[in-house]
Amino acid sequence: MSLRVLNPNAEVLNKSAALHMNINAAKGLQDVLKTNLGPKGTIKMLVGGAGDIKLTKDGNTLLKEMQIQNPTAIMIARTAVAQDDISGDGTTSTVIFIGELMKQSERYIDEGMHPRVLVDGFEIAKKATLQFLEKFKTPVVMGDEPDKEILKMVARTTVRTKLYESLADKLTDIIVNAVLCIRKPEEAIDLFMVEIMHMRHKFDVDTRLVEGLVLDHGSRHPDMKRRAENCYILTCNVSLEYEKSEINAGFFYSNAEQREAMVAAERRSVDERVKKIIELKNKVCSGNDSNFVVINQKGIDPPSLDMLAREGIIALRRAKRRNMERLVLACGGEAVNSVDDLTPECLGWAGLVYEHVLGEEKYTFVENVKNPSSCTILIKGPNDHTIAQIKDAVRDGLRAVKNTIEDESVVLGAGAFEVAARQYLINEVKKTVQGVIQNLMSSNYVLFFNYHLHILMVMLINSKQRAQLGVEAFADALLVVLKTLAENSGLDTQDVIIALTGEHDRGNVVGLSQNTGEPIDPQMEGIFDNYSVKRQIINSGPVIASQLLLVDEVIRAGRNMRKPT
Amino acid sequence: MAPGFNIQPYGIQSMLKEGHKHLSGLDEAVLKNIDACKQLSTITRTSLGPNGMNKMVINHLDKLFVTNDAATIVNELEVQHPAAKILVLAGKAQQEEIGDGANLTISFAGEILQGAEELIRMGLHPSEIISGYTKAINKTIEILDELVEKGSETMDVRDKEQVISRMRAAVASKQYGQEDTICSLVADACIQVCPKNPANFNVDNVRVAKLLGGGLHNSTVVRGMVLKSDTVGTIKRIEKAKVAVFAGGVDTSATETKGTVLIHTAEQLENYSKTEEAKVEELIKAVAESGAKVVVSGGSVGEMALHFCERYKLMVLKISSKFELRRFCRTTGAVAMLKLGQPNPDDLGYVDSVSVEEIGGVRVTIVKNEEGGNSVATVVLRGSTDSILDDLERAVDDGVNTYKAMCRDSRTVPGAAATEIELAKRVKEFSFKETGLDQYAIAKFAESFEMIPRTLSENAGLNAMEIISSLYAEHASGNTKVGIDLEEGVCKDVSTMGVWDLHVTKFFALKYAADAACTVLRVDQIIMAKPAGGPRREQPAAGMDDD
Repeated sequence: MSLRVLNPNAEVLNKSAALHMNINAAKGLQDVLKTNLGPKGTIKMLVGGAGDIKLTKDGNTLLKEMQIQNPTAIMIARTAVAQDDISGDGTTSTVIFIGELMKQSERYIDEGMHPRVLVDGFEIAKKATLQFLEKFKTPVVMGDEPDKEILKMVARTTVRTKLYESLADKLTDIIVNAVLCIRKPEEAIDLFMVEIMHMRHKFDVDTRLVEGLVLDHGSRHPDMKRRAENCYILTCNVSLEYEKSEINAGFFYSNAEQREAMVAAERRSVDERVKKIIELKNKVCSGNDSNFVVINQKGIDPPSLDMLAREGIIALRRAKRRNMERLVLACGGEAVNSVDDLTPECLGWAGLVYEHVLGEEKYTFVENVKNPSSCTILIKGPNDHTIAQIKDAVRDGLRAVKNTIEDESVVLGAGAFEVAARQYLINEVKKTVQGVIQNLMSSNYVLFFNYHLHILMVMLINSKQRAQLGVEAFADALLVVLKTLAENSGLDTQDVIIALTGEHDRGNVVGLSQNTGEPIDPQMEGIFDNYSVKRQIINSGPVIASQLLLVDEVIRAGRNMRKPT
Repeated sequence: MAPGFNIQPYGIQSMLKEGHKHLSGLDEAVLKNIDACKQLSTITRTSLGPNGMNKMVINHLDKLFVTNDAATIVNELEVQHPAAKILVLAGKAQQEEIGDGANLTISFAGEILQGAEELIRMGLHPSEIISGYTKAINKTIEILDELVEKGSETMDVRDKEQVISRMRAAVASKQYGQEDTICSLVADACIQVCPKNPANFNVDNVRVAKLLGGGLHNSTVVRGMVLKSDTVGTIKRIEKAKVAVFAGGVDTSATETKGTVLIHTAEQLENYSKTEEAKVEELIKAVAESGAKVVVSGGSVGEMALHFCERYKLMVLKISSKFELRRFCRTTGAVAMLKLGQPNPDDLGYVDSVSVEEIGGVRVTIVKNEEGGNSVATVVLRGSTDSILDDLERAVDDGVNTYKAMCRDSRTVPGAAATEIELAKRVKEFSFKETGLDQYAIAKFAESFEMIPRTLSENAGLNAMEIISSLYAEHASGNTKVGIDLEEGVCKDVSTMGVWDLHVTKFFALKYAADAACTVLRVDQIIMAKPAGGPRREQPAAGMDDD
């Protein structure tokens, strides 16, 4: 081989070997993730190098944690991760869709078809499917007041695929309320404004939404109050501790008196700042029973804490940067960077501030705020893996709700879209492809036959007629989602597909009921998927599958760092 | 050519890094997991109840533990198997939440998993078992609420009798035969430190001081603290004194920036030490003048400062732990000052007596505060060996945690397996009403409750089958409070024996157990990374499968 001549150490796989390696890898990955799909999917247990346990049903997490090595599998996994970045959901679907595309292609390739032709078919089918998706989607009007019900349905559909039902239903409300809480009209939703905090405590169903903020540290002074009502909140980024000067300075003194004076002088500037805060506190709190809370991003040293504690001020130091931003959104007021011009207007307000101690960990709750535009989802669970599982689910749920608001549309779930798209491709496109064949014989009829699929036709005419097999493979691959859903629920795959395609041919849009295996109306059941998720799957799946199919040589050159055995 | 590239094995194995293990399916994953959990619960089970056996565990640091406290056992076992680890985590969660009942959690989870295995072998799908177990645990909790002893929801947490009646069962399961002594110590200590609102009871306020020597009957409760150190100065005993607490240390003050003494002549040098001395004396004098007799330092005590303290007849104590210092402040009602100087009269604390005593060859400082602000109490435990002391301490901890739990929720349920048998009976009845396949799972769940009376009687050397059948007979005739009297080996009404368990303990233990078991059952694939590197231990850690 020519490569051998150039580099005797290079490894090479060519033609069908390369193709089959890719197909096998795609199928293998599909096999791994297949059982995850849908509400009835099973859980995988991942054991890390240090023996730590992770339980997951989320395709993305699984791909990330699995440490895949096969180059093809890595490529597919990357697409899935991109899927997650863009839409936050649908990773498993992407992987199994790619796997299925490869599997369907394998059949045709084994029969001697050239991959290029299939790829052309994929391209046509992809475009047609995307157009179909535009028609198929259900628009949702997102005015000032989004329809909470539909958001809940979307969130529920997503979260139920990650967690068991009763917990998922509880999270749904939390997630929708959280997103609506941070949503501002005319602005993109920043999900970072939802703080996700976890406590290892009680049960997973005790997870709740805190309208306000939960900070994962407490006040550092034993004499500060643990609980305060009607609090003014000063959010600041002012150092309340002595900082060494940049230059290398030293004190010279010749008796203890002088040294005492220096000790005092050293503290003075810090004390001044603390006094300014105390002044403000006295201004707003005198004569009523309100309390004063200082949340500082920088440090507060013990003497300053002591001064504040004596005034009955609760002070928290070293708050996180992102929490400062959220605090202002939650409580109002503004974050101040200097204590020179403190006014009561800078202060936020919260009805209740309290500290919760869990073993060694301290948590500070800032609750009962007015008009919050930031909130906290407080995840509870008896152990770390439960918490991690909920956290992933919450993240995906939040994304799903955000997507819905931004897409202003949803897609019917439970496999309804896939079946509809497949039927559309087979019935409509097949007809037109047959039209093309006829047209090749008598090309005068082209435009006449395809008046309603004009754009598609133009493409089809240009494609080779064999491309219809690619379209067919694509259409069949779409069914994999449905097949897997049925399989995971212990249903008979063939029965389900026949039942569903039959209904669709009769013009009813139906999905699969996981419990009974009967066709159901997803709209009635409230099963909706994100439009952007589906679009992304259809967009990215064929692209990667095409790329993999067109590979005819895999070369590994360069030095192998690991010892060859 | 490296393997894995040209040879293309099909499936997941080809995709993972070397050293990964992948287990999937019913046989490989689910049953193996169940097996591991069963092994774990077999270990803990024999320690359940008052007659439970002790385990001798030597951990990786060669520290010896002799205990029947399940939380300690599983903690030191360093369980490797991932599924068994889930059970361990459930036990830990129980320990953190309630502080007692970890054994019940692990043993019960093991038992229902064993039930699940039988069901799987019968042909049930794990998802049906999960749904059955979920229904069963929900029903169990409902029934548990009904079983609550009437009148127990209100209690006076300051009444020793009532406290002991609720604490006895928990302590007896750790130190059988000595529960009365321990309970009374713990109850005394807890009641003393119980704040006005019992819900705010802080476990940290009951301290345990372990002193080698003597026996349990020498143990006492001290209102105040026992510091395992001597005083710094020569004054060893003082009574009815005011206390000044300095967090920063009793020494000359220093600047944050480095200071240099600027001396030009020998005279200045002499003068410098004089001014230094004068300064310290001034400070100590100020402290003495404020009325304080005891000075407590959180940091170092300077030689010079000590000298002046002696001169002004001040007792000096050094407490270097920050938390200990805080507790000291709570005991005496003092406010810790950061810098040495004249304290405010408000900041001074008060002690009835501070004295250094020698107990069992160790010098300890006993700080007593009988009257105001008695917010810390210490149980001084005496015992002949370290392991006995450790075990006693765990029993005391369990007692204190039980007290905390009862402060929040004082409801009790009958102990001595009476509740379990009743649950078994009623959940079983519930299973007959279900129509789906999950009724088998519910029935299995009900049967699993029998594990507790069985284990209790087995551990006590009684005939388990006989006991269980007579328990069932009693319960069937409506005597819902009949439990096992382990001493006589007969079934008795628990109200005559006074064995009560807290409702919350049972509630959390059963819930955590069921949750853990369902989690184990939900897993159908395990992907294990290659264990991270690091220095190999001399002996390979025995996995659960090697037993």
